[in-house]
Amino acid sequence: MGGNKDAKKQACKKLTMPLIIIPAFNEAETIVSVITAIRKRYRYPVLVVNDMSHDDTARLASAAGARVLNLRAQLGAWGATQTGVVYALKKGYTAVLTLDADGQHEPDYIGDLLDQLDCGNDIVIGAYVERCSRARHIARYYFKILTGLQIEDMTSGFRAYNFYAMQVIASKQATLLDYQDVGVLLMCRRAGLRISEVQTPMNLRFNGHSRVFYSWWVVMRYMVQTSILCLSQIGMPNTFQFR
Amino acid sequence: MIISYQWITAILGVVIAGSILYLVRRDHLHGPYAVWWLLVAIITTVLGIWPQLIDKLGYSLGVAYPPVLLLVLAQGMMLVKILTMDIERSRQERRLRHLAQHMAILESLIEDQKQTKDNTGE
Repeated sequence: MGGNKDAKKQACKKLTMPLIIIPAFNEAETIVSVITAIRKRYRYPVLVVNDMSHDDTARLASAAGARVLNLRAQLGAWGATQTGVVYALKKGYTAVLTLDADGQHEPDYIGDLLDQLDCGNDIVIGAYVERCSRARHIARYYFKILTGLQIEDMTSGFRAYNFYAMQVIASKQATLLDYQDVGVLLMCRRAGLRISEVQTPMNLRFNGHSRVFYSWWVVMRYMVQTSILCLSQIGMPNTFQFR
Repeated sequence: MIISYQWITAILGVVIAGSILYLVRRDHLHGPYAVWWLLVAIITTVLGIWPQLIDKLGYSLGVAYPPVLLLVLAQGMMLVKILTMDIERSRQERRLRHLAQHMAILESLIEDQKQTKDNTGE
């Protein structure tokens, strides 16, 4: 991607108005407060990708001032997020920021993530490492060793992506990923993108639960699937062509 | 009257082949799948009518107990079939996700256009 370096610098300068993407599934209780908190502090447009919620999520999000995309097949958190990124690219945005709809991410830190993006990073993760269960610590340590990525919080959904990262994560190859964490980061690393972290606090979840860590069966499936994904990526050359 | 095993294998082969042909004729099996299953139907019929073919083939390949050859070949074919099915499923899953994403985006763009029209009073 040697020829892309100059274009890359120019794209960083182009970062003006990012799109805030919130994937949501049955988050009627919290979606309004999340959108309101963002809109109170920032003037960035907010996009809620409704992953076939059975409740009022879509209507409430729209009433709170967000743009809503309604998926007609349930795609999971990553599929919904990717939909938002594809939409952002179509609409000409040069950066996106994703956060969870359950209010666990602190919108006050959106600015910190975007600042880091302007400083030459392609992906910035809002990391939360202090208070998490022992199982999660073990899982994080395990994936850190397996992937070789020096990232503390790979599972965080609080992330900012620039134009180049958007192209990678909106690609056909990323469509078959089931989780937004390790696979996405490995793909971005392979494409030569720079990933950094910003320490952010986390609100205690007052609704819902982690999509990944909520039952032993799901944890096992996640660990096995992600381990296979990591191993399959070893030695894979970068074939991604930036626009 | 004792029915020879050749009659049983022949009937089984023809019934399986007939069922496959029926499914292909009724459009229950799409193009490339139909080719695979028609091949299976032909093999089943031929080996059903002339099961001794597998003995001849087995002995010529040096297999001590020829029926094992049939089982090994059948298992190999099943493995290939299951693997290609999962590859196909993954491809379809990718296309389904892609379509769902683009449909959601297009719906929202149509909504935009409708609103613009309403606002301009066209």
